[in-house]
Amino acid sequence: MTHQTHAYHMVDPSPWPLTGATAALLMTSGLAMWFHYSSMLLMALGLLTMLLTMLQWWRDIVREGTFQGHHTLPVQKGLRYGMILFITSEVFFFIGFFWAFYHSSLTPTPELGGCWPPTGITPLNPFEVPLLNTAVLLASGVTITWAHHSLMESNRNQTTQALGLTILLGLYFTVLQAMEYYEAPFTIADGVYGSTFFVATGFHGLHVIIGSTFLIVCLMRQIKYHFTSTHHFGFEAAAWYWHFVDVVWLFLYVSIYWWGS
Amino acid sequence: MSLVEPLQPLPVPLYSRLCASVGGQAQASGFRFRCPCSPVRGEGTRAKMLRNLLALRQISQRTISTASRRQVANRVPEKQKLFQEDNGMPVHLKGGLMDGLLYRTTMALTVFGTCYAIYELFVAAMPKKVK
Repeated sequence: MTHQTHAYHMVDPSPWPLTGATAALLMTSGLAMWFHYSSMLLMALGLLTMLLTMLQWWRDIVREGTFQGHHTLPVQKGLRYGMILFITSEVFFFIGFFWAFYHSSLTPTPELGGCWPPTGITPLNPFEVPLLNTAVLLASGVTITWAHHSLMESNRNQTTQALGLTILLGLYFTVLQAMEYYEAPFTIADGVYGSTFFVATGFHGLHVIIGSTFLIVCLMRQIKYHFTSTHHFGFEAAAWYWHFVDVVWLFLYVSIYWWGS
Repeated sequence: MSLVEPLQPLPVPLYSRLCASVGGQAQASGFRFRCPCSPVRGEGTRAKMLRNLLALRQISQRTISTASRRQVANRVPEKQKLFQEDNGMPVHLKGGLMDGLLYRTTMALTVFGTCYAIYELFVAAMPKKVK
């Protein structure tokens, strides 16, 4: 059996990058098929293969780190850089939508009535459900920090409880936002106001769902003793992502809900 | 406590050196119990009955205490042993039969999907003949 004399991780050959790339192909061509030929088969295939790829790829990473011990300090450093770079790319993704919002709202065209909110649009009251949503996400930021400190102090019960509470708050936000979407007096088709509102808050909502899923996976791993008090990068990555989601909401709330009303 | 940066083969298992600080109660440890079916020479009936009663008490206590705590057992060492076995299997197949099934299903969907996407592309590219 040959042994490596360095601390880096030479991964086993894996089929998941190929299946992931194919999933992207199927999803995009499936989207075109759905738009133009009313057929959802290709898109459904794409979504299914994407799900299977993600499940198996991340399962393998857990195996490589927790069960095989490949996540040495240099490897962890690389993973940290990776997560930071990914979150930075997501920040730029949202910057685009904020740019669109400010472009349209700072100089509203005559077609909108020369004002913002545009004529005919009744915006949501920022001091009702949106303010509650802000409180919910801020509280979830506190609970996830509590969970992290409990984990570092080897307090198993509190880690599980705090992480569970964070997830519940995230789900509560999602439910509240879904209700707001249902009850809103305007739609995505209502001019540039509707477009900027629903695309920006919609992508944020998707990120809340992704973040909640990541946290649920962390909860399952925590229950299964995967994390130690000094080595729990998966949890830290989930926490970073969650804080990012929280900060994006704060910008959304101040810009679109509050200033934009 | 810092992770070792190995210049020698990766220690097995890495987790166990780190996990000392993990919180969590150990499961109920074993208790000393004398099997009631092994006879004690010279023991009277009363003594035997008392011994059986004590044994029964110990069993019932053990069962109740384990059940009431509802602990999830720490199976990480078993997983570490399974995935560190030197059998030449890549990590995506190393877990057992389910791994292979999932892999084959995913690959089948991938291949079929690619072929179907290319087929639809050809159909979309060919103009329909106007009668």
